[in-house]
Amino acid sequence: MLEKIKELIVNYVDVNTDDITEESRFVEDLGFNSYDFMSLLGELENEFDITVDESDAIDIHTVGEAVKYLEDLKK
Amino acid sequence: MNKENIKNLQQLVKEAAAEYGDKVFLKERQGKDITQKSFNEFYEDVRRISAYVMSKRAGEEALHAAVIGPTSYNWLVSYFGTVSCGSAAVPLDAQLPCEEICDLLNRADVSIFFFDKRYEKMMPAVKAACPEVKEFVSFDDIPALLDANAPAELPEIDPETLAAIVYTSGTTGKSKGVMLLHRNLIDNAMCQDNESSPEDVVMTVLPIHHIYCFTCDILCSLRYGATLCVNDSMLHIPQNLKLYAPTLMLIVPMIAETIYKQIKAASGANPGIPLAAIANSVFGGRLKTIYSGGAYLRPELQKAYIDMGINMAQGYGMTECSPRISTADPTDHSCAGDVGVIVNGCQVKIEDGEILAKSPSVMAGYYKDEAATAEAITPDGWLRTGDLGYVENNRIFITGRKKNLIILANGENVSPEELENKFAGRDFISEVLVYSEDDVITAEIFPNAEYCKEMTSEEIEKLFADTVKEINKTVTSAKQIHRLRIRDVEFDKTTSKKIRRNQSVQGKQI
Repeated sequence: MLEKIKELIVNYVDVNTDDITEESRFVEDLGFNSYDFMSLLGELENEFDITVDESDAIDIHTVGEAVKYLEDLKK
Repeated sequence: MNKENIKNLQQLVKEAAAEYGDKVFLKERQGKDITQKSFNEFYEDVRRISAYVMSKRAGEEALHAAVIGPTSYNWLVSYFGTVSCGSAAVPLDAQLPCEEICDLLNRADVSIFFFDKRYEKMMPAVKAACPEVKEFVSFDDIPALLDANAPAELPEIDPETLAAIVYTSGTTGKSKGVMLLHRNLIDNAMCQDNESSPEDVVMTVLPIHHIYCFTCDILCSLRYGATLCVNDSMLHIPQNLKLYAPTLMLIVPMIAETIYKQIKAASGANPGIPLAAIANSVFGGRLKTIYSGGAYLRPELQKAYIDMGINMAQGYGMTECSPRISTADPTDHSCAGDVGVIVNGCQVKIEDGEILAKSPSVMAGYYKDEAATAEAITPDGWLRTGDLGYVENNRIFITGRKKNLIILANGENVSPEELENKFAGRDFISEVLVYSEDDVITAEIFPNAEYCKEMTSEEIEKLFADTVKEINKTVTSAKQIHRLRIRDVEFDKTTSKKIRRNQSVQGKQI
């Protein structure tokens, strides 16, 4: 899951996958804005065949939180 | 459509059905499928909901029905079913927390609440806090409601009837309920001509409780017979652009800015492909025109879109004016930094630097708030916009918000927006707020992490200090920025993503 998210993140912002950790914050550390972030979640929906509730996005700040959120949805 | 025949929203829906009939009015995604409804089906369903709303009224008395949720067919039939029988709709911001929703339901005297199913779990709290709300209708129950109610014989509606109470989400203070009459909304939807046609496909992406989206996407699609494609989620904009291939869109500058950034990045990775070709692919292949509103649009960004073969026009208005005060002709490519030409039927004057507007689109007042109404509308009917600006050749130029004006101890007035806009277009800045701190003009910046990731903090500080010096050269001495702060967390924002002013200082002083 983490590796797939990293792979998609580098399509949005100019970072190396090696520099992305679970602690990386989407906005502050990786340079996402809200539109990029929503589009990334949309891609993850397709990738993992899940449905993300838009209003949950507000509670996801770090890559680790995104991993946990998506893993919970997969269960 | 002969606009002379349309005096209220009920007639708009009816005429749209008469003129465009079985043509597709709306498309939306239901899971992986797309469902569609014609103008005829919409008119019939609106009358079925009107029958339901009329059955809940005490006699002929109008009631207030709130609607909450993302844009959907069910949202639209709930809204138009309410207003088409002379009752008033109260569209609510889908991102509000439960407590504020309850407050607005009570303040707006709502008795029917139409809601998207995602709010289901909030309902026990709403029921407890809002005893006057008698009917709760989940959008999931709308199909059953449509089956159970025959289309109503609709009553005649006086254009002076209240159609909606729209709560503004201001960056300061408590939200106010803007009372819009049928006349107001119809005037604004009809004030321009030839903006769209039945061949147009409009992808609606902005929140529907915003009057800009409601008037320009929804009412104008009904008027011109365009097909409305619902962007079901902010998560799906890139996918939906490809799916629906719109010809016309209304967006806010942040979306335009981000998509442009992505197009540029794709161009960097594929140097042989022209920007226009990439843009064409990103937007689905048919996009001709983008209308931008809601915030400052950089003329350079507007020019960049035009260079990619997409008309980009900017409009200006406010909820209190239903909303349009000015709008640009999309084929005008002058990119002069204005917010468009004053719309037909609207007068504008400048008083002490503030823009005042007068037109049939101006609201009836704020709901149950006479003091605020008297502050906003002069006795002779001019709406005080609170915006500072000037008019040149019938075009409006905005310089800032009156209430944000920084008044320094030396008596100088400085518009923070004018200075903030000077930071726009610099890739290394994500957000900036200008304010007065101890009578010193201060710029607080949230840097773009991606751009600054390889830089030391000294380099970042130097870059920003140099930027401020550069900006100071372009303004008079009274407007110069003398303090700089850099913060490491983004600014707190309203649900419409505008930075809240008057938030506590957090950035490190440089």
